[in-house]
Amino acid sequence: MQKFSNVKEMHRLLYGYNGFVIFVLMAFMCLTQERINQAMTARAFLESAGAVPQSSVVIFFTTTAAFLLFILVGHFYRKSQRRHVRYLLFAAEIVICMFLMRFLNLSYDGVVLLVVADLMYKYEGHRQEYTLLVAMICLYFIANYNMAIFQTKIISFEAYASYYNADAKAVILAIKNTFYSLNIVCFVFYLVLLVKNKHEEKERIRLLNEKLEEANQRLRAYAIEVAQMAETRERNRLAREIHDTLGHALTGIAAGLDACIMTLEIAPEVTKQQLNKIRDAAKKGITDVRRSVKKLRPDDLERLPFQEALMEMTRNYSESSGMEITFDIFSWSDNLRQDQEDVIYRVLQESITNAKRHGHATKVKITIGGNEKYLLIVIADNGEGCDKVKQGFGLKHMRERLELLHGTIHYWSDEGFIVEAMIPLNGDAYYGKNSDS
Amino acid sequence: MRRKILAAIIVAAITFAAIYQAQSQTTLTVGIFAGSNWNVPQGETYAIIDEVRKNFEAENPNVKIKYISGIKKEDYSEWLAEQFLDGSEPDVFFILADDFNMYASIGALMNLESFIAEDKNFSTDVYYPSAFNFGKYENISYALPAESNLTFMFVNKTLLAKEGIALPKNNWTWKDFLEICRKVTRDTDGDGIVNQFGYYDYSWQQAAISNGVKFFRDDGRTSYFADSRMEEAIKFLMELRSLNGNFEVTPKDFDVGRVAFRPFTFAQYRTYKPYPWKIKKYSSFEWDCVKMPAGSSGGNISAMDSLLVAISSRTRNKDLAWALLKKICYDKTTQQLILKKSQALPVRRDVITSVEAQEFFSWDSNETAAIATIDISSAMDKAIMPFKFKNYNSAMLYADTEIHKILTGIIPLNNALNKLQKEINAQLQH
Repeated sequence: MQKFSNVKEMHRLLYGYNGFVIFVLMAFMCLTQERINQAMTARAFLESAGAVPQSSVVIFFTTTAAFLLFILVGHFYRKSQRRHVRYLLFAAEIVICMFLMRFLNLSYDGVVLLVVADLMYKYEGHRQEYTLLVAMICLYFIANYNMAIFQTKIISFEAYASYYNADAKAVILAIKNTFYSLNIVCFVFYLVLLVKNKHEEKERIRLLNEKLEEANQRLRAYAIEVAQMAETRERNRLAREIHDTLGHALTGIAAGLDACIMTLEIAPEVTKQQLNKIRDAAKKGITDVRRSVKKLRPDDLERLPFQEALMEMTRNYSESSGMEITFDIFSWSDNLRQDQEDVIYRVLQESITNAKRHGHATKVKITIGGNEKYLLIVIADNGEGCDKVKQGFGLKHMRERLELLHGTIHYWSDEGFIVEAMIPLNGDAYYGKNSDS
Repeated sequence: MRRKILAAIIVAAITFAAIYQAQSQTTLTVGIFAGSNWNVPQGETYAIIDEVRKNFEAENPNVKIKYISGIKKEDYSEWLAEQFLDGSEPDVFFILADDFNMYASIGALMNLESFIAEDKNFSTDVYYPSAFNFGKYENISYALPAESNLTFMFVNKTLLAKEGIALPKNNWTWKDFLEICRKVTRDTDGDGIVNQFGYYDYSWQQAAISNGVKFFRDDGRTSYFADSRMEEAIKFLMELRSLNGNFEVTPKDFDVGRVAFRPFTFAQYRTYKPYPWKIKKYSSFEWDCVKMPAGSSGGNISAMDSLLVAISSRTRNKDLAWALLKKICYDKTTQQLILKKSQALPVRRDVITSVEAQEFFSWDSNETAAIATIDISSAMDKAIMPFKFKNYNSAMLYADTEIHKILTGIIPLNNALNKLQKEINAQLQH
C-alpha cells in the first residue's frame, strides 16, 4: 500500500510540475507581450510572429481553465470504473491536451506525456498492450497533426524569446529545454515506479495466495482431526452411556439375580418381589439405552413428526440439488418404531443421493404403500441407471440396515433406477420372517 | 404549479434580456490616424470620419462609434500592432499599405469575400480595378479602398514659357520629355555651373511603369527585370541623366522654379494648387500637372496608391463592422465628402465622373488648367497597382541599389539586368 501511494505521489508531482511549467511559460508569454507593447516594438513582433496573438488576459484565463479542466478530466479518468466512460474521458483528455498546447502556442508539449501517464496508470496488461500501442501512436500523430494544423496560426516561442537580447534569449531557450527534459525525467521515473509497483503487487498477490493455500491445508487437517475427535467423543459417550445405563442396570440385575438365587429356595415370595424389581431395572435400562441411542438420530427426526421430517429432508435436498422429488403415499403406519423410522429415513436419503450422484436424475418419485404387515417403499428416478449394478457402500449399508429389521431391498435399472425396500411392521411378521429364514 | 411559475420566470428573464440586448448600445471602434496618408498637410483631419459617424449613428440608433484621435501617421502602425497584441484592436481600421500584407497573412483581417458575395447592396463594379484589387491578398479581399492617389507630372509653366516651349499634351512621350529637358538644361547665369534643369525626382520605377514594365509576377515569386522594356527604360533614364552632366538637382532648385518637371501626386496637386498653400509654396511660378510621359512600348500610365480600410477578424459585430466599412468605402455621400474634404481621389467611379467632380478638378478657372483636360477616370482605370507582397520592399530596395549602380555607371548595363533578375528571383524564393 505504501508503494502504491508513492506512485500516486509521483503522479501528483508530475501534474504539479507540468502545471508549474505551463504557468511559467504562460507568464513569460504574457509578460513579454506587455513588455513588447511598452517597448513599442509591437509592429516588428507581429511581423515575426506570423499570427495574431491573444491578449495576456485571454492567454491567462484560457490556459488556466484548460489546465484545470485537464486535471479534472484526468482525475475522473483514473477514478472511472466503466470502460466506455473511461474511453470517452480519455478522448476528452486528448482534446483538452490539444487545446492546451494550442493556447501555449505549441511551445510546450510535455502535456502529452501527462496523457500517456494517465493512460499507463490505467494500463491493465494482457490484451491491452495493443490498445496502448495504438493509443501511443495516435497521440504521437495528434501531437504532430496539431503542429501541422496550427502551424500557420501560432506564434513560435522563438518569436517571444527574440524580443530579448541574444544572451537572454539563449538562457530562456535553455530554461525551456530544461523544463522539457526534467518533465521527461519525471515521466520516466514515474513509469519506473509504476512498473515496480505493479510488479510488487503481483508478488504480493502471489505470496497471499501461498499463504491462503497453507491455511486451507491446515484447515483440512483440522477438519479431519475434528471429525476424529467427534468420533472419539461419541465413542466415549457411548461407552459412558453403556457403562452408566447398561452397565449399571446389568450390574444391578446380576447382583439382584445373585440374591434371588440365594433366596429362591428360602423365600420364594421375596424372590418373586425381587425379580419384579430386577425386571423394572431391566426395563429402566432399556429405556436408558433407547434414550442414549435417540441422541444419535438426525435432528429432523427428533424435532418433527416422522412424515414431516421426511418431507423436510426431501424438500431441502431438492432445493439444494434442483432435483424434483414427488411423494405418492398410499398408506402409512402410524406406530412405527424409532429404529424403523431411522432406517426408512436413511434409505430414502441414500436413494435420493444415489439418484443424483450416480444417475444424474432430475426427477425422483417416491411411492410409499403396503398394509398392516409390511411397508413398501419404491424410489424411482429418471436418471441414467446402469446395466450392471455394482453394489457400493451405500447400497450395502441400506441392505444391512434393512436386514436388521428383517426387511428386504431390491434394485434394478429400467427407465432410470428403481429401489424397492420392504419393511415388516409388527412383531409377528418379525418373528415369522425370522423363523422362516 | 411550481414548474409553471419557474417557466414564467425564465420566459420573463429571457424577454427582459432580449429587450435589454435590443436597447443596449453596441460600440464600434475605428482605427484612424491624424492627417493625410499622402504626406501632404491636411486641415480637417477627422472631418470625414465624423461625418461618417454622424450618419452611421443616425441610421443605427443602437450603435455608437468611437475612435481615438491624435495618432500620427508615423505612430499609427505601431499603435495598431499594440492594439492587436492587447486584444483591443478596433473593429474597423484604416491600414497602411506597408502593413496590409502582414496583417492579411497572419489572419488578423476579416475575409470579405462572403460579405461581398452575399450583400445585394454591394457591387465591386463601382471601384477601379487597381483600387479594389489593392485590398486583396492571395486573391482574397481583406480590405476596401477609401481613397486613391495618382501620380502626374508637375510642369513649371513659367520656365517653359521663358524657354519658348509649349506646354506638353497629355499624350506626350519620352521623346518629347527628353527633348524639352535637353532644351531647358543649361547655365542661365553664365557662371559655368548648370543651374536650370529638366527634371527632378523622376524614378526608374516611374519610367518603367510608363513603358509597360511589370516588375513582378502577381504572386511575388518571380521578377521581370530582364524585360526588354525595362532595358529601354534604363537606357532612357541614362540618357536623361547624361543631360545634367555631373550636377545633382536639389529640392531647392525645384522650389525656386529652376526645374521644368517633377512627378507629383494628385494629393500634392490638390494641396498646393489652391489657397492657402498656393502662396506658401511654388508661388514664384505658374505650374500645372500633366500625365506622365509615355514610354516607347507603354503609355501615359502611372501608379495608383489607395488607402485601405479593413475589419478585424476578431470583431464581435461582423455585420455592423461590414456596414461601417461600406459606409466609409462604398457610401456615395462619404465618397463625395472625400472629394470635397480629402486631397485624394474618391474610389467610386460614379463620384469621379460626376459633374461636381469635374467642377472640382477645374476650380482654377482663371487659367487653362491642363489637369482639367485629363480624363481622370480613364487614368485611374489604366493605372498600375503597386505591389505589396511580403518581400516586395526588400526586393525593391535591392533592385533600387543595383539599378542606381547601373545608372551611375558603376556597373555596365550589358548583362546587369539579367543578373539582377536572377538575384532577385533567388531572394523571392525564400
